[in-house]
Amino acid sequence: MDAIAIDEPEVTISWQGVVRFLHKTPRAFLPMRSFPSLELVAGRGIEGDRYFVGHETGFYSHKPEEGRQVTLFEMETLEALQRDHKIELLPEEHRRNVTIEGVPLNHLVGRRFRLGEAIVEATRLSTPCRHIEEILGKSVFDPLINRSGLNCKIIAGGTLRVGDAVRPI
Amino acid sequence: MAKAIKTVSTVVSKVEDLGNDTKRFTLVDQDDWELPPFRPGAHIDVHLGQGLVRTYSLCNDPDDDRRYVIAVKREREGRGGSNFLHDRVEVGQPISVSLPRGGIALDQEGTNVFLAGGIGVTPFISAIRHLERRGRSNFVLHWTSRGRPVLTDMIASAIEAGRVRLYDTTAQTKPVIAAIVGEFTGSGLAACCGPAPMLKAFEDAVSAWPEERKHIEMFTPPKVSARSDVPPYELYLSASQKLATVTPDVGLLGTLDALGVEVPVSCGGGICGACRTRWTEGPPIHRDRVLSIAERQNELIVCVGDCAGQRLVLDL
Ligand code: FES
Repeated sequence: MDAIAIDEPEVTISWQGVVRFLHKTPRAFLPMRSFPSLELVAGRGIEGDRYFVGHETGFYSHKPEEGRQVTLFEMETLEALQRDHKIELLPEEHRRNVTIEGVPLNHLVGRRFRLGEAIVEATRLSTPCRHIEEILGKSVFDPLINRSGLNCKIIAGGTLRVGDAVRPI
Repeated sequence: MAKAIKTVSTVVSKVEDLGNDTKRFTLVDQDDWELPPFRPGAHIDVHLGQGLVRTYSLCNDPDDDRRYVIAVKREREGRGGSNFLHDRVEVGQPISVSLPRGGIALDQEGTNVFLAGGIGVTPFISAIRHLERRGRSNFVLHWTSRGRPVLTDMIASAIEAGRVRLYDTTAQTKPVIAAIVGEFTGSGLAACCGPAPMLKAFEDAVSAWPEERKHIEMFTPPKVSARSDVPPYELYLSASQKLATVTPDVGLLGTLDALGVEVPVSCGGGICGACRTRWTEGPPIHRDRVLSIAERQNELIVCVGDCAGQRLVLDL
């Protein structure tokens, strides 16, 4: 029997997002501070952040996790928490560095994309951490499963500013 | 191996000898970053090294978010925590502390009646400063001390305003707690922190009060991530030949930690699989969302796991 040739349509995900908030903190458990810009350093992380390679003072002291140089979180998740769970989670509370809008983070694992003038590569989805409930006193662990953000490594560094575009390469 | 940091690192920025065997310590972040927030009347565990952990109330204003201030009275007969702080802790020294816990649910409208014995005033200092910052004066403090009270500088304005009643027991009789709280049976909050006989008198005086209107300051243990509701069971680690009992308040992960066994922990909530461990005797209780039924036959997610029987054997 002859194989029937089916024309499979090419799927390209098209999106363009924007950086809404930028945060960092120098040590585990300390509140995140908001900044108008962050310095992304290729292969190392965000200057002054707890996961900056060579200066690990984040939650995992002995794990210089190279795939976690910068972490992203969707603005849309904050809205969903409010809408579906009546939980107000603020941009400084999710403990990821970059809050973006209009970027389908869960589709980007394994891909490279532009973050302002920098280029990053998504390594894996973040998992929520039980400690976040203890720190915030809000029951966000369960609602954040599978939408707790994206871990990336920095391929090309640069200054990242609030309002910068996020787009595919 | 991932080793979870469990404490906040701080540095001692100030040590003040206030007399009357009391020292006040100010702890800050090394870069003067904000510290994790706390509620009025909250407390922290202070890790003094070699397993010495002591709990103290924070006495600064909760809005003052770059400092943790504790006041420590030397307990000559104590178990070593206060003596260590008095004799060995100096400015510049790093000190690890827990996240703040607890706090007093202050009454917004009614009067908050605080009853303190000696250094037991500390949780009420942060509460008073919190109220005053909001321009509120719905509180009164009855404070008993032997000799000159210390820390009065922290609530000077309340003293000035006549909202603090001081009792020096070297010169006058102790206040009658039942009479003080008796005036407020209808509304407001009553809270007490002090020596055991004082707490007992307070408990008796407010025994008929609804729970939400009374607060007895006791240090609450940290919440365990696997809130365990199973009876205690024996834990044996076959590879390292260690034996311990797992109690509900410490939990499986806490017990492994206490035994000095390093299990990689990431999410702490049974979803990432970092802490999967082989078991040989149980049966264990599985509460994770990681393992398949087949995997559960010989593996356990220990961050949320427990034992359904009397003895759990892990290959650690
Ligand atoms: S630490 Fe994530 S499952 Fe136990």
